[in-house]
Amino acid sequence: MRIERIGREPDYSRYMDLKEGWLDRRIFSDADIYEEELYRIFARSWLFVAHESQIPSSGDFLTTHMGEDAVIVARQPDGSIRVMLNSCPHRGNKVCFADAGNTRRFVCNYHGWAFDTAGDLKGMHEEYCYDAGDIDFKNHGLKNVAKVGNYKGLVFATFNSDAPSLEAWLGDFRWYLDMILDNEEGGTEFIGGCIKSVISANWKFGVENFIGDAYHAGWTHDSGARSMNNGQPFPPIDMQNSYHASMNGHGWEFGTEGVGDLVLLGRPKVMDYYNKIRPKMAERLGEMRSKIFGSVASASIFPNVSFLPGISTFRQWQPKGPMQFELKTWVIVNKAMPDDIKEEVTKGVMQTFGPGGTFEMDDGENWENCTTVNRGVVTRHERLHYRCGIGREIEHDTLPGIVYRGQYNDANQRGFYQRWLDMMTHDEFGKMPARPEPRLGNVAETRDLPGLFAL
Amino acid sequence: MTDTATLKRTREGTAASLELTHALTQTLYREARLLDTENYADWAEMLAEDLHYHMPGIETRYRRDKTEQVTDLTRMAYYNDSKPEILKRLSRLETGTAWSEDPATRYTHIITNVEVELTEKADEFRVYSNFYAYRNRNERDEDSLVGNRIDIWRQVGHAFQLVKRRAILKHNVMLSKNLNIYI
Ligand code: FES
Ligand SMILES: [Fe+2]
Repeated sequence: MRIERIGREPDYSRYMDLKEGWLDRRIFSDADIYEEELYRIFARSWLFVAHESQIPSSGDFLTTHMGEDAVIVARQPDGSIRVMLNSCPHRGNKVCFADAGNTRRFVCNYHGWAFDTAGDLKGMHEEYCYDAGDIDFKNHGLKNVAKVGNYKGLVFATFNSDAPSLEAWLGDFRWYLDMILDNEEGGTEFIGGCIKSVISANWKFGVENFIGDAYHAGWTHDSGARSMNNGQPFPPIDMQNSYHASMNGHGWEFGTEGVGDLVLLGRPKVMDYYNKIRPKMAERLGEMRSKIFGSVASASIFPNVSFLPGISTFRQWQPKGPMQFELKTWVIVNKAMPDDIKEEVTKGVMQTFGPGGTFEMDDGENWENCTTVNRGVVTRHERLHYRCGIGREIEHDTLPGIVYRGQYNDANQRGFYQRWLDMMTHDEFGKMPARPEPRLGNVAETRDLPGLFAL
Repeated sequence: MTDTATLKRTREGTAASLELTHALTQTLYREARLLDTENYADWAEMLAEDLHYHMPGIETRYRRDKTEQVTDLTRMAYYNDSKPEILKRLSRLETGTAWSEDPATRYTHIITNVEVELTEKADEFRVYSNFYAYRNRNERDEDSLVGNRIDIWRQVGHAFQLVKRRAILKHNVMLSKNLNIYI
């Protein structure tokens, strides 16, 4: 599948200078830029659609969006997962209205066209009304996406048949991702249900906040930190031993103290649990990663997924127009955890990063106001400052990616907007520069990497 | 059949007297007034030590789907809190640095459709009600949260304490950026 859009080719590079460290405010509200993002970013990227644990059995399905396109994600009888447009090829009606469930067929409410869980057209109401040759059943199923991939339980899909493999798309970021997806034997699962809320802000504000904005945390979330941690302020940041790491627009900002985010979760039993498995985690992922996990940290996968390793909120910023997104939140836990620890994590996440959470309540407000105020016809022409830590890039033996020292930094945000710009300006995927050249290459598994990365 | 069993059968679900119904209705109104005025200290006094305060997340599912969304406490919930956990959330407001609460949000809780029933415990009452919680912030930031509640209130002296609350918000996508409100 090739998604093309003809006509408008503005020079997006004038909206930012990331070497200088500024952004133009128009990218947060302009309707044309937003439309272009849907084509050039959302219709061409690998997008998160499900955790495999949400649809364990044949016939299990859930519905979600890829960009603003409604899709169904369904488990097949052979165990594979398919992703298809949630839109009937007859008149376009939505064929599935549930958030999730189990079914053999999706039957359209309008004229009764019926599809199996692979999207194939199987029959319809009063089939005799069609003469031979009117319908080719093979070509009138629910449109499947170009590719579906699964990285350690996270299911991604893309409309773009030219997209690289999911492994190549995630690239060196897999080294970091494994800290949440593979820190214990058995992998991860999502807790049942999904909390959705609406924030009247541009989707990029959510992503850039989680990709690198440790800086806001100590100030915006002073009240949240104190409420979760017996009146204590936000854990101190060690600028020498904390980092930003950016890879093709994905990014992880983190300390190496091992406990900061776990403290903020406010659940001592969860802290004890991780401290208990930490030696094993070190064997599994190496010393460095076992020290990063649980530290003050946050991360985003390009373009619109974020999570907090240690706090275990996992979320997606679904675009709904230039000035609104829908926030979907889940809780991610290790399968091997006993039930009471899963329950502790779930409660902790909802008390911190649920809509009524002591942290979450202060974030949405900021992003909404950034979005609406930036739109002023005069205001929108003023540049925004993204220079924090611009001179602190380092080479690091262990850490993959473009690495900057000091967790208070705009480096990952600059990396995210660089990738945004690359995608907005390059027609061909293959011509987009790698930022940086990957170190991991084609290795399938970051767990057993010798030498350099296992440190 | 023993006397206790008979007693249970006759009490459970029976409509409470006019007097009790009035007293509990007034209790709900008082609670709403405390929440409207952010008088959380007095509100906390109305919460029993063994409180369970639950507001489940509600997915849209087909009728044939029997997934238990409301009572399964392992699922995602806006609130699934004990009293100490509610107090922890409330302590955020006392820090003086909850920036998004200053200027203050303006609240109105409208409580209706109150029904009071006896339960098998002589001092506990099941109270059904509907809520309409309205919030307005800053210039024109507003939202409406509507739903049903099922509570258990316990008589303690002349007053009542909230032991259990299950609030069912009717939103699937919560049409708001956050829930800086108790219902
Ligand atoms: S639109 Fe689906 S059957 Fe007609
Ligand atoms: Fe935040």
